[in-house]
Amino acid sequence: MMSGRALLLRSAPWLACLGLLGVWQIGALILNTDSFPTAWEAARAIPSILGDKESLINILASLRRMAVGFSIGVVFSIPLGLMMGRSRGVASFFNPLLMVIYPVPKAALMPIIMLWLGVGDVAKTLVIFLGVSLPVIYHSFQGAKAVEEKMLWSGAAMGLSAAQRMIRIVLPAALPEILTGCRTGLVLALITMVTSEMIARQSGAGNILFNALDMGQYDTVYAMIIIIGAMGIGLDAAFENIRARLVKWSEPGFDIPLSFA
Amino acid sequence: MKLVPSRPEVEAKAAPARQPAAAMIEIDRVSQVFRTSGRQDHLALSEISLTIEDGAFVSILGPSGCGKSTLLYIVGGFVSPTGGVARVKGRAITGPGPDRGPVFQEFALFPWKSVLGNVMYGPRQQGVKPTEAEAQSRALIEMVGLKGFENFYPKELSGGMKQRVALARTLAYHPAVLLMDEPFGALDAHTRTRLQNDLLNIWERDRKTVLFVTHSVEEAVYLSDKVVVMTRSPGRIKEIIDIDLPRPRRRTELLLDPRYQKYLVDIERMFDDTGEDELRP
Repeated sequence: MMSGRALLLRSAPWLACLGLLGVWQIGALILNTDSFPTAWEAARAIPSILGDKESLINILASLRRMAVGFSIGVVFSIPLGLMMGRSRGVASFFNPLLMVIYPVPKAALMPIIMLWLGVGDVAKTLVIFLGVSLPVIYHSFQGAKAVEEKMLWSGAAMGLSAAQRMIRIVLPAALPEILTGCRTGLVLALITMVTSEMIARQSGAGNILFNALDMGQYDTVYAMIIIIGAMGIGLDAAFENIRARLVKWSEPGFDIPLSFA
Repeated sequence: MKLVPSRPEVEAKAAPARQPAAAMIEIDRVSQVFRTSGRQDHLALSEISLTIEDGAFVSILGPSGCGKSTLLYIVGGFVSPTGGVARVKGRAITGPGPDRGPVFQEFALFPWKSVLGNVMYGPRQQGVKPTEAEAQSRALIEMVGLKGFENFYPKELSGGMKQRVALARTLAYHPAVLLMDEPFGALDAHTRTRLQNDLLNIWERDRKTVLFVTHSVEEAVYLSDKVVVMTRSPGRIKEIIDIDLPRPRRRTELLLDPRYQKYLVDIERMFDDTGEDELRP
């Protein structure tokens, strides 16, 4: 049996959500304009979107692009970040490049990318890839840089080659930091996914949202925002769950729920 | 050695035992210059020559910044000397190898591995079968007094326990030489004493060659066959003192032993003579 305090801590995130919906509902009732439906009206529109085959295909296409962009981004960025963290030469070559790319909103590159690659999956996946890469590179870089030299020496004395030290010492030692970067990358993947679909309308969750906006279907607009938000929360919670398992060895005891996981 | 009271009966007894023991480590006019941007180059070690016999417990004693750890890193192959050559078993040292096992003050355990995982790491790397490596590692963990902690992670252990794991992890791949870099420097006095006693007990079993870096005079005299006293700026060997105290050593007996006390006083005086202190540039 959970104590009252523990129960309160467990339910705090849900209470926060209910509170937000309550404020929305009351705010919409007071303002009473077409462009701001109540929370209840928006929620009522959700089943009709999720029940529609066309909409579901759109949303799944978005998720597929996001998964592909995120995966390629992670597979590319972790080795690059780790090498930058362990080699001054690699770091001084890539660091200036990344500093230039970092502040540029990746969606702002979308028109140029569309010019080269068209408006299809490739262009959108590339933008997602760019959005994911930077935080993952940066955190992998920081994680690898912070690996204790003596830990690598201990490995070298056991006979590990430079490549083995990279994979078997630097990678696991930097994993907590890498996964923090991946978590940020996942959220950015969702954001760039939606913005890319805003610019290149063809399919996807963003496409439904912005088409509804053009047609003045505000309950659908808000319902899509709820759906995309819920996807973000769900993905983040799932990722946090995996992350916590992988790096249990590095976590200090901390039992305040930081997410919905 | 002028510092050690001449005691003919000891020398007579010691002489026949001192056969030309095989040199495990030879340090031949090793120098180390650290190039620092802006400031002038820093000569950390100046033409150090030292021979360490197989099975000897040798301490390098000196103030901070005398280059004693650097010397140990050179023997470990982690740092290349800018001058001279270091050899192990007659072969020039070009890099780290499993014949020289380091134990660092910072422990440097693999935090993602359990105690057992850490200790098994070396044997597994050397291709020992998992079941065999595990059995050996469990025995070692028991030897360093950590039975029951096999599945703990390093973050769950105290400093003393971490250093016990680090020692077991290094012993697990059977290095011919133990390189100990101020291993008990980060521990409280009580834990430090217990680990010194346990280290001596473990060492008595197979008498590996040990190179032990410390800045504690008591620790050096208590543990060693030989104490190499270094001075700083630049790092040089000031004296090499043979510690002629019976083994196995018992701390409680040594504390009352006038010979032990004399070694301590003689070495302390050497630091007074040179006016060594932490504040010198």
